[in-house]
Amino acid sequence: MVKKILLILSVLAIVTVMIGCGPKEKKDVTVTFWHLDTQDDFKAAWQAQVDEFMALNPHVKIEITVLENEAFKQKVATMMQSGNPPDLFRSWGGGVMNQYAEAGLLRDVTKELKKGGFSDTIGAGPLGVYSYKGKVYGIPYNMGAVGIWYNKKMFADNGLSEFKTWNELIEGCKKLKAAGITPIALGEQDKWPGHFWFGYLAVRIAGGEAIQKAYAREGKFTDAPFVEAFVKLKELVDLGAFQKGFLGATYNDQASLTANRKAAMELMGQWAPSVQEQQTKDKKGLGSDLGFMAFPAVEGGAGDITDVFGGGDGFAFGVNAPDEAIDFMKFLMSKEQYKKLYDSPISFIPTVKGTSEWVQDPNMKAVADATSKAGFYQLYFDQAFPPAVGGAILDAVQGICAGTKTPEEAAGIIQKAWDEEK
Amino acid sequence: MGLQKSSNMKTSKFKEYWQNPRHKQAIIVATAFLTLPLIVYTVFVILPVFQAAYFSLYKWNGLGHLTNFKGVENFVKILTDPIFGMAIKNNFKIVVLSLLFQIPLSLIIALTIARRFKGAVFFRTIFFLPYILSEVIAGTIWSFIYNPQIGIQNTVLSDWIPWLANFQFLGSQDTVFASIFVVLIWKYFGLHMVILIAGLQGIPVELEEAAFIDGVNKWKLNWYIILPLLRPTIMLSLFFSMVGSFQTFDIVWAMGRGDPANGAETMVTYMYKFGFQRFQLGYGSAVAIIIFLITISVSVLYQKLTAEKEL
Amino acid sequence: MIVGTKKTHKAIQYTLLILLALLTLFPMVLTLMGGFKDLAQLRLDLFGWPDPFLGSNYLDVLHPKRSKFFLSLFNSMLIMSITVMFGIVLSSLAGFALSRMKFPGRDFIFNFFLVGLLFPPAVAILPLYIELKSLHLLDNYFGVIFPQVAFALPMQIMIVRSFFKQIPIELEESATIDGCSPIWFLIFVVVPLSKPVITTISILAMVGSWNSYFLPLLILNSEKLFTLPMGVMSFAGQYTYNWPLVLAYLTLAMVPAVIFYMMAQKHIIEGLTAGSVKG
Repeated sequence: MVKKILLILSVLAIVTVMIGCGPKEKKDVTVTFWHLDTQDDFKAAWQAQVDEFMALNPHVKIEITVLENEAFKQKVATMMQSGNPPDLFRSWGGGVMNQYAEAGLLRDVTKELKKGGFSDTIGAGPLGVYSYKGKVYGIPYNMGAVGIWYNKKMFADNGLSEFKTWNELIEGCKKLKAAGITPIALGEQDKWPGHFWFGYLAVRIAGGEAIQKAYAREGKFTDAPFVEAFVKLKELVDLGAFQKGFLGATYNDQASLTANRKAAMELMGQWAPSVQEQQTKDKKGLGSDLGFMAFPAVEGGAGDITDVFGGGDGFAFGVNAPDEAIDFMKFLMSKEQYKKLYDSPISFIPTVKGTSEWVQDPNMKAVADATSKAGFYQLYFDQAFPPAVGGAILDAVQGICAGTKTPEEAAGIIQKAWDEEK
Repeated sequence: MGLQKSSNMKTSKFKEYWQNPRHKQAIIVATAFLTLPLIVYTVFVILPVFQAAYFSLYKWNGLGHLTNFKGVENFVKILTDPIFGMAIKNNFKIVVLSLLFQIPLSLIIALTIARRFKGAVFFRTIFFLPYILSEVIAGTIWSFIYNPQIGIQNTVLSDWIPWLANFQFLGSQDTVFASIFVVLIWKYFGLHMVILIAGLQGIPVELEEAAFIDGVNKWKLNWYIILPLLRPTIMLSLFFSMVGSFQTFDIVWAMGRGDPANGAETMVTYMYKFGFQRFQLGYGSAVAIIIFLITISVSVLYQKLTAEKEL
Repeated sequence: MIVGTKKTHKAIQYTLLILLALLTLFPMVLTLMGGFKDLAQLRLDLFGWPDPFLGSNYLDVLHPKRSKFFLSLFNSMLIMSITVMFGIVLSSLAGFALSRMKFPGRDFIFNFFLVGLLFPPAVAILPLYIELKSLHLLDNYFGVIFPQVAFALPMQIMIVRSFFKQIPIELEESATIDGCSPIWFLIFVVVPLSKPVITTISILAMVGSWNSYFLPLLILNSEKLFTLPMGVMSFAGQYTYNWPLVLAYLTLAMVPAVIFYMMAQKHIIEGLTAGSVKG
């Protein structure tokens, strides 16, 4: 009897559960997900994350679009202007993202991220780059610093060690040139790699305070220290420190030259090693010959050598993003998944708290230290400012590189664009 | 009152016209046949152009509503921007240089192979071949040829031709335009050749034979008889290179996006960069309108020039 | 003596022409051969014969897992065919009405179409984009096809109309007497007579559609919809460090157009020149 009752009860329970489940079955949702890691291994790493998430959430379909960096930037711009942003897309935060947020094209996810304390698991600094007026619009998975990646062997062969000052860098370049080695690789056709040089020089010479003043319109980009930054860059160009034809080269060319030992160094962000690896046949890059050093101090500059110019990578939410897009990001940033991403060929500096011990590679450790101990942190200029000003900065730098603009003219271009943005 | 009268007259006239079954049929058929083409054309060509004209009067980042009316300010800014000046100059340089180099080259080849020339088809086939490639493919191929690390600079040619070793190709503001122009010639001289051959074939052979019998030598024949007769075709070739030049985008984009330092900027790359990429959609639309006005002026000028001569 | 100079004259002509032909082919041949080399050899020996002779670059490009070459090829072909078909239908309809029918406003409508010849597509691209969005045609083949058809219409109508005009009136009259309505007359009498002109407009539309880059770049987002020129750009952006692979892709991207050209070159050249000379 008891058995029978139990049986009936259990059957009833199963039925209830099944009926209860029935109506609750989730509706199919599609999330559009855009990233720009076109290298095969990187693509596979993102795909793996997406596949795992979809296996756990069968009602969600994540559609990935991968575009190469330059095409990506163009495409996202048009998508935005059509008022139709992807649900989840690669963003560098900052002024460009703010402009989207201002126009109501991004989804404010502050509340959703607070739920369950998720936002507390991510470093406050990086998250701030993806926030605007106190609201969060995206999630960074990577936040690092730009610095000089150099070929240790070439340096040792020519009796060079890490540069502490700008003059050492200049002397080092002369020495390398004399030895028939291209000192620095630069892909200036893409413009943003060259702007790293100007950016760091501005951070070292003008310092954080002057930059913030100019940003707040209390100072001007035509002030002496900014002009001086262009003068120093011009010095490097006139020296012939960059490879032949660098104005027509792309960032991929730059990474390829460095990785294949055709140039002694490049100024680049934390992704440099992994991109370099992809540029060599054995996918090992320079291996143990790769070194990292902070951008040297400039004699008499207001900035400190611990000040950092850099930025991160993350994903922003389009205004029509469904909750599942947020779920996917939370899934991605959960320690287990995040570790898988970290162990993939994509190299980055983690933004999730309590993961610093993951970083074992000495170079990446140096980047992570520089980032976390930065006295002043300046986001890439081309992202920190609205697109029209960012574009003007990139053009000004290229004008210096091509020798068509004087330092004063270059500074004037930036200030003019900034004035028009009021 | 007068207005009403005239409209009354119009209606009655129309009624009269409509009464005729032939006319009625013509109108019905014309309406049936023209509706679809007109809709497609109006929706996808006319409407957007008018909208561009409207946007051009605003400062607009393309994201929100159009609120910041600026009148002609965008136009003033564009026309005083030295970079746009460089872009216009480059566009006209393409026209002038094709007149000086491309069309003469095509003309010489056309005159050589147009008539009873063994292997004419073979040469024509080869010379025309680059034309069928897309500009993106052509541009990428030539980026490879010009690439300092693996291109022609990196070969024995550099030992033989000293200036080649230091030539910057796409890597310098001074040389990028010339380098791209070479590609334009390479890609389009075959088209002009073929157009000119077609023109030549319209000139009666007897004319030439008669001249030959009279002992006129070939140069004189070409110069005094063939060329004047070929003038309309040459003008047409020129017109094509003009209108084509004003639209140049793909090839420049594939070969360094108009840089370094705007050395190869054209009006359309300028529009794309300063309009789309910098989120200045009003400004970009104003550039578009200027391109449009320049194209129209050139076409009108062309019409005038050709019409006068044909009379 | 005269014969002698004539011979040397010919010899010079041929030498120059052959030289020019070699120069014309040179970039394409280097591309083709580069695809068979490895990077090391490409760096050291641009002009040399591929050694080792590698097929792997070409195989990689053709491998569906490594590149979307075939997909892009298919997309380009599909977009091209539909563009051409729509173009033929619409321009025949309009060309017929504007040449064979007499009705008030005919010249106005014709001129209205002609204005379009002066509109560079780039001018309209942004409003077009917004419009296509409201029509839900973004990231859709038809978002590329409709504007392409529309922008080609003026030229096509002009060519078709001038050809239809030349068809003798008597034909139409006898057809009308036979009780043939205009649409049947167009389909069964005019169109078969107009093969050359239809070839012309088809080829113009094909070349335009096959090579277009700007418009698809803005309209198509998903990689699965990319056309061949877009494929070239994204592949080249992705593998700039591996030039042999890019060169293999370029070569393969040239192949369909070159084959088509070799097969139909007479029609292509005549079509293009007929179109341009009439225009």
